Amino acid sequence: MCRQTRVRLIFAVFVTLLGLAFGGTVLAAEPITIEYWHINSPTFGGPAVKELVQVFEAKHPGIKVAEKFQPGVYTGLMQQLQVSLAAKRPPAVAQIGYNLTAYAAGQFPHVILDKYKTSDPDFFKGIPDNIMTLGVLGGHLHGIPFGVSTPVMFYNPDLFKAAGLNPDQPPQTWDELQRQGAVITQKTGKLAVYLQQPNDEWIDQTLIWGNGGRPLSEDGKHVGWDSPQAIEAMQMWQDMVNKTKIAANLTWEEGLQAFLSGHIAMCLTTIGRQDHMRRNASGFQVRAVPVPRFGSKPLATATGGNVLMIFASDPAQEKAAWEWIKFLLSPEGATIWTKGTGYLPPRAELATDPRYLKPFFDEAPMMKAALLTFPYAKPWVSFPGSRGLEITKILIKAREEILEGKRPAEPILKEASQQASALLPK
Amino acid sequence: MIASRRRRAAAAGYLYLAPAAALTLVFVYWPLVASTALSFYDWNLVSPTWTAVGWENYRELVHTRAFWLALVNTGRAAAALTVLTVLVPLLLAVAVLRVKGWWRNVYRVVLFSPTVISMAIACAVWLWMFHPLHGVINTLLRYGGVEGPRWLSSGSSAIWAIILVTVWKTFGFNFVIYIAGLLAIPAEMYEAARVDGASERQVFRHITLPLLAPTTLFVFLTTFILSPQNLFVPTQILTQGGPNEASNNLGYLVYQLGFEYFRVGYASAAATLIFLVLLALSAAQFYFAERRVHYGR
Repeated sequence: MCRQTRVRLIFAVFVTLLGLAFGGTVLAAEPITIEYWHINSPTFGGPAVKELVQVFEAKHPGIKVAEKFQPGVYTGLMQQLQVSLAAKRPPAVAQIGYNLTAYAAGQFPHVILDKYKTSDPDFFKGIPDNIMTLGVLGGHLHGIPFGVSTPVMFYNPDLFKAAGLNPDQPPQTWDELQRQGAVITQKTGKLAVYLQQPNDEWIDQTLIWGNGGRPLSEDGKHVGWDSPQAIEAMQMWQDMVNKTKIAANLTWEEGLQAFLSGHIAMCLTTIGRQDHMRRNASGFQVRAVPVPRFGSKPLATATGGNVLMIFASDPAQEKAAWEWIKFLLSPEGATIWTKGTGYLPPRAELATDPRYLKPFFDEAPMMKAALLTFPYAKPWVSFPGSRGLEITKILIKAREEILEGKRPAEPILKEASQQASALLPK
Repeated sequence: MIASRRRRAAAAGYLYLAPAAALTLVFVYWPLVASTALSFYDWNLVSPTWTAVGWENYRELVHTRAFWLALVNTGRAAAALTVLTVLVPLLLAVAVLRVKGWWRNVYRVVLFSPTVISMAIACAVWLWMFHPLHGVINTLLRYGGVEGPRWLSSGSSAIWAIILVTVWKTFGFNFVIYIAGLLAIPAEMYEAARVDGASERQVFRHITLPLLAPTTLFVFLTTFILSPQNLFVPTQILTQGGPNEASNNLGYLVYQLGFEYFRVGYASAAATLIFLVLLALSAAQFYFAERRVHYGR
């Protein structure tokens, strides 16, 4: 090989290496894409998620967020998540409903977030302890509480007026609700109330907590649906549907639609729906108050919403996922989220901060109902163990049977609780 | 020479078959074997360990109320679908072919159109038509002085609502198949019968029905075998098997066990049982029906 050829060869190798190095740099600078799975449909916070992604990507040019809506609320998301984990292609971050956190933390490979408490202490400032514990299981932080919602009672003031009732004094207790409900049904021919019946038992847990019961015994070994408080509450619901016939027994979509179109006077569901209610109530101005109390017992409601859990196994993905979570809970992110949904901000001080959410809370009177309920929030109990999802389904089926009205609540709940308790870890 | 040519031809034949055979093996028979094997394990899709449980999944299944309810509902649905989507399309196809000219095509389009609409979209529309308070069905019933049921949230009507939607959706496909079958019957058969003085009823009984038998067998078998699958989407969108399992069926039950409870082994046991039941029923039907079918040769 002559000298000239050798020089050319060395030059070629050098240029190739330079090219590779340069190419490598270009590759490294390419943004990393993380998947974010959520339950926010176009009518339930979807536009807010899109806005959050836009703002985040503008601030973090190195990270792209592929947001993916999962139908079927939290249970539907869990189903897809389990399948994606089996295929080893999980999203980097996903919303996990409080009712499913124990199942997800126990069954799915995910990132334990304890380490961020030391590496990112500033992030945790301003999130109250009672909220942070919603993501803690077995002493470890598995998820960051993100959506915090309470059930409230939306109502149609026009139907109250039509029945000769004062729309400024909606019922505060279940007894009052049944009395006023009977008047509404009698005078207007419309049904008085609908308690949400989706594929979960959130409102059932709210009734049980509200009547002084517990959805799960403190030692976690017994499902509390057969307690006298639970039986009394569910019997009341059955009576309203089948005996006094003031309450609707409808599927979730039907019930919501019937309320929005003015066929039902009151609707118990999440404050997360307030934006949707406000925009879609046809011909009336919807209002909201806290859910009714049981006599003189203090208000108690199950807390709805979700934690954000990280399922990314690649360190770069995990890092990007954490940045995304930090943004979602930042004052700016939380403000977009609360305005677009009605979920309460995990950082409580934002609600009174004129730079962030104060103007919104001042203009959205329905949010007051959620703020009034917030101090009485109890957990939405998640059933532990590998059979937790079946337990939830057993309780949903029990409710469906109760509302059919063929047997009283007591035997149905006793059977369901026995069956469900047998599936809890011993 | 001839033998080797023949062998080559046979080899070419197998070669042509190979792609389809390979796909069938990989996507039909292998999953069948794998799912049967899985039915003897307890596994949740993500756990690294599969626990062998012997016949336990099958034992638990036959002791579950949901399984028997789903079985009964599937039987009900299969019977209703067989009557409504095998007999009615036959009569309508005969009737439509008697219509002359432009109107015949109008009827064909109108009766076939539900088949081409996406099932999910159709279900979303039915969801509102079934609304007990302001849905179109109950509103019409109210005009007639009848208080309609709570179609989707009442245990006694939910399964019938699902059957109704499935019939509406699958009806047109069978109708078109019957039209094709009827048009394939040679016209000279009818002419000969009429020359011999047969009445319309006799022509239908002795010419149309027997010569249409292969088509009827095909429609009957596909309707019956596909009914658990056809029920799935309406069940998922309209009732999720509720209230309290009242509208559950075998296909949906497998989905629930596998993808709601994540008991994949248990779900596989249910799937294996369904496969065996359908296999036995199809074999019996085929055996008995085949005897009465004339293929026109």
